[in-house]
Amino acid sequence: METTSLKNLERNMFRDSIQDGILDIQLGLMLLMFVLPIYINPYLGDFWSSVVFLPLWFAIILGFRAYRKKVVQPRVGTIQYGKYRKKRLKRLNIIILVVNLAAFGIGILSFFQAKVLPGWAVSARFSIIMLVGFSLAGYMLEFPRIYLYGVLISAAPIIGEYLYQNHGFSHHGFPVTFGVLSAAITINGLVILLRLLRKYPPHEHEDLE
Amino acid sequence: MNDTKPLENPLKDIDQIIHAPARLRILMMLYVVESLDYVFLKNQTGLSWGNLATHLGKLEDAGYITVIKGYQGKKPQSQIQLTTSGRNAFRNYKNTFQQILDDLPE
Repeated sequence: METTSLKNLERNMFRDSIQDGILDIQLGLMLLMFVLPIYINPYLGDFWSSVVFLPLWFAIILGFRAYRKKVVQPRVGTIQYGKYRKKRLKRLNIIILVVNLAAFGIGILSFFQAKVLPGWAVSARFSIIMLVGFSLAGYMLEFPRIYLYGVLISAAPIIGEYLYQNHGFSHHGFPVTFGVLSAAITINGLVILLRLLRKYPPHEHEDLE
Repeated sequence: MNDTKPLENPLKDIDQIIHAPARLRILMMLYVVESLDYVFLKNQTGLSWGNLATHLGKLEDAGYITVIKGYQGKKPQSQIQLTTSGRNAFRNYKNTFQQILDDLPE
């Protein structure tokens, strides 16, 4: 009973320390990588329209990291996780690396097979890898919302392909499905962040220091 | 648990420093993490700065916690950590209390 209660306490503290909406906003903006290059493509070409997003994405990550450090953490406080949580986060990093490598490999493979594979096959490959990756991340972070994101992100290319084949949507329906999903996840993150900022006003003076 | 000796005077064996609800909550939180800062502790416990200072002072005097002074840029940001004796005292408290509850008739 006591052990379970302490476990719950640790999990809740961990969630409170990362539940600031920034992760959601970053994920939402990352999904724009499936939308914006399509529109930049005519101006920059296939290669550069994709490459330009790497430094942009890097800047977004660094920007939000700085925002968390300067604005969020002084209000919420900081915590150094215990051994159990550190071990789980280390495992999560390995999972993220493996999933990214797998996604990269499948991406390369699909690029060369693009002419022989039906659109469904490429979408299904992407969906499976996303579902597996997000489910494992949700499990390791003990964060139920990530499972939902995984399901939605996995469904996006399949729905997009359906819209493309049956209703004539452009670019395999990616601008619509990933655009909507990106907006929904980013807005959700912003709502969480704004609620948190309202709940925890800045501490004018910390008497104990 | 069954092979432990029954306590002579159960309530006397309870560590009174830990037994106060606010301090128990603080120690429980510190037990499951490596360290945390005042702001996080204040937000999680809902205590005022004054109350928090009093309880942390008592725990520090008992040698159960240690405050590691540090800075984040120019701002002070100290981390609070459970000491080894604090960890042991919390475990003893947990076991003693559990034994008292186990010994209670249904």
